[in-house]
Amino acid sequence: MTEAVREILRYTDVAIFTYFVGLNSSYLVLMALAGLEFGKHLRRAPFAGTDDMFRSPLTLPVSAIVPAHNEGAGIVAAVTAMTSLRYPRYEVVVVDDGSTDDTFERLRAHFDLVEVPRVVPGEVPYRSEVLSVHVARANPETLTVVRKTNGGKADALNVGINLSRHPLICMVDADSVLDPDALLSVAKPFADDPLRVVACGGVVRIANGCKVLGGRVVDVRMPRLWLGRIQVVEYLRAFLLGRTGWSRLGGLVVISGAFGLFRRDLVVRIGGMATDTIGEDAELVVRLHRHLRGLRADYRVVFVAEPVSWSEAPSSLRVLGRQRRRWHRGIAEILRKHRGMILNPRYGRIGLLSLPYYLVFELLAPFVELAALVLLPLGLLIGAVDVAFFWRFVLVAYGYGLLVSLVALFIEEVSFHRYPRWGDLARGVLAALGENFGYRQILAGWQVAGALGALHGRRAQWGTMHREGFDTVVESPETVGVGVDR
Amino acid sequence: MLGLFTVVIAILAGIVAVTALAIIIVRVVRGIRRRKRAALAAGPRRALLAFVADNGEEGSHDLVAIPDDAWRAVEPTALALLGKLRGEAHLGLVSVFLRRGAARAALRDLRSRSRVKRARAAQVLGDLALRQAVPELCRLLTDRHPEVRVVTVRALGRIRDPAAAWRIIASLDRPDPLPSLLATHALAQLGAEAEVTLSAALDHPHARVRVVCLDALGLLGATGSMPRVARVLRDDTVLDVRVAAAVNLGRLGTRAALEPLTLALRSFRPAPLRATAARALGVLGAPSAVPTLAELLDDDEFQVAHEAAHALRRLGRPGIEALIAAVAAERSAGAGAHARPSASDGASVSHAREALALSRVGSGPVGVAA
Repeated sequence: MTEAVREILRYTDVAIFTYFVGLNSSYLVLMALAGLEFGKHLRRAPFAGTDDMFRSPLTLPVSAIVPAHNEGAGIVAAVTAMTSLRYPRYEVVVVDDGSTDDTFERLRAHFDLVEVPRVVPGEVPYRSEVLSVHVARANPETLTVVRKTNGGKADALNVGINLSRHPLICMVDADSVLDPDALLSVAKPFADDPLRVVACGGVVRIANGCKVLGGRVVDVRMPRLWLGRIQVVEYLRAFLLGRTGWSRLGGLVVISGAFGLFRRDLVVRIGGMATDTIGEDAELVVRLHRHLRGLRADYRVVFVAEPVSWSEAPSSLRVLGRQRRRWHRGIAEILRKHRGMILNPRYGRIGLLSLPYYLVFELLAPFVELAALVLLPLGLLIGAVDVAFFWRFVLVAYGYGLLVSLVALFIEEVSFHRYPRWGDLARGVLAALGENFGYRQILAGWQVAGALGALHGRRAQWGTMHREGFDTVVESPETVGVGVDR
Repeated sequence: MLGLFTVVIAILAGIVAVTALAIIIVRVVRGIRRRKRAALAAGPRRALLAFVADNGEEGSHDLVAIPDDAWRAVEPTALALLGKLRGEAHLGLVSVFLRRGAARAALRDLRSRSRVKRARAAQVLGDLALRQAVPELCRLLTDRHPEVRVVTVRALGRIRDPAAAWRIIASLDRPDPLPSLLATHALAQLGAEAEVTLSAALDHPHARVRVVCLDALGLLGATGSMPRVARVLRDDTVLDVRVAAAVNLGRLGTRAALEPLTLALRSFRPAPLRATAARALGVLGAPSAVPTLAELLDDDEFQVAHEAAHALRRLGRPGIEALIAAVAAERSAGAGAHARPSASDGASVSHAREALALSRVGSGPVGVAA
């Protein structure tokens, strides 16, 4: 009996070992692809034609939809920045989703909002009640603010889609600050390849620690807290490089709700945002793939790595835990909802590569991580594996993982080098090392809880996140920090 | 076994150390190169800015005499300036580039095996607005790489030689065509001399080509083509083409556009066409369209009623009066603000109220319950 347990444990440990080899190797492959893509992007920068696009009267107008729920701390700065982007024609639609704080009052006071009796078309379904629609007195065509009863982020986005007037819709989080050329960059693939591009994601970076002036990130710095620094490395590895790699492979299935651009007609055709999942942003992309692959359409979902949307990352473990439970729950819900696509050749690379990858290396990763934490010492204890195996495992899971993070920092340094200070570089390297001691393990616990939440079918909620908020020039003329630095 | 394990640890530690070192080296090298380039560019940049500030009248010899390595450092600034300058300063800077052999090099690079070089060369020739390069650039409109074609059509637009019009139009009629909006913008940039070619292409068998030409004619304000555009609106078999014709009749803004647009509003026409025609009447700005648009306020199609209401708003006082009359007439119907419209709830008055409220924004209190 003991021998049988020992054998099972030995095979399990070997399987976990193999899993980590595969996981980290897949990251490296995606990063290599992202590196190639960045090289291509940088070589083409001189003839990208961004200025031509800005000057063209035919550049497709964009409706930026900003769902907001209790975002009073930073809403004015975020919307001010949104309304002063470099783009020929666009509107901002802020949807106040039943905020109980002063989100709307701040907007009304700052932008001199006036109520207008807008007719809300029911092109995509929404379940809440629209209480009032307001426009900025000075610029009614540019800023619309909708007040509605609380219905969740997806429902807020659906109301925003209904009220949007332009052929491209950009979903932006209310806690985000966009680079001035962000809309031009993310809309460019639609101009260059209009027949095929249906959605484009923009990279999201962490604003904590950065200096923000007048709704613009003017000085990029690492966050002061190690929790934030580790998230910077994580975002670089998973968001910037991972998604660029998937885009290069033609298998991108996640466009962050913090910054993504979509063709409005297609979003309307597939029924808007799903309200039955907490990961509505990724679900929309998977549903787009499903719809278009079903039609055998020739289309592209792409990702642009620069410029960026800056977002405030959680600065406490409690908030971070809530966010990561929500994210992982979203992945679980999407994979369950679209399980028919997994390994289905009808859905091409999405069905045969992307979704199986997300199942094995995203959804299951925290389960394996936690299993390793228990089974490996146990295997060592009962003699199923020897010390050499144990060390090999540590090397593969953590040493190789550290290498992957360093490669991410290296590619960032070669391509965009957004962190100019030597101190920040050192902190990035140390964060890459430090995330292996405690952070990864706690993260895995939260993620497992999130996935199990999806399994048990508990009601999903738009999690509240405590915001420190951005500064504004009006309120404070000097440059001050964001988030934890305030 | 232990030996192998030690070797693996050593290799991994080595790779980690090399990666960390590589990050440092990249940063150090970049810093050195940046400082070197800044030092090289400092003098030429001053000369360049002085030349531009002087409207290109003095200092061209100094710029031509700048050594190649220093010019390379300042060239991105000079190219960026080219796109922003107009008049004498632009011509002066173009002349500097030509004397430095930039055009020769770019023309040579148009035949490079590297697509990046071909695209860069097309970009430079467009920035220089070099008409001699048009035949060579037109050849690139059929380049096998889409990005080269995209840069080329933009360059042709900037050069503004109407001789390129038919080649741009022809490049739309291929299996992997140019993006429509880029082609339209380039064609519109070619100026009034391209009108004849664009107008003739309205009979092109491909709907996409017809739409591009209609849009370009609209942007050009080619009023001479109005009868042909009106004919397309009336007779074309493809809905998208007729919608484009309606949009551009509005843009052309002549009184003669009123009749074809009004005819396009008839109830048996497709809803997207009717909505576009209603919008175009608002853009046209003809007060005589008010009665027709007012009738559409209670149209069953949401988009048609919506566009009619906002077209009335754009028409100014006569349109606003029609909106006020519509709201007054239907006030008793009781349709609520922010209602989800349906055929039965009197949504027409909602559209009128919305348009009326927007017309009042900025000019006093907005009557939500008007």
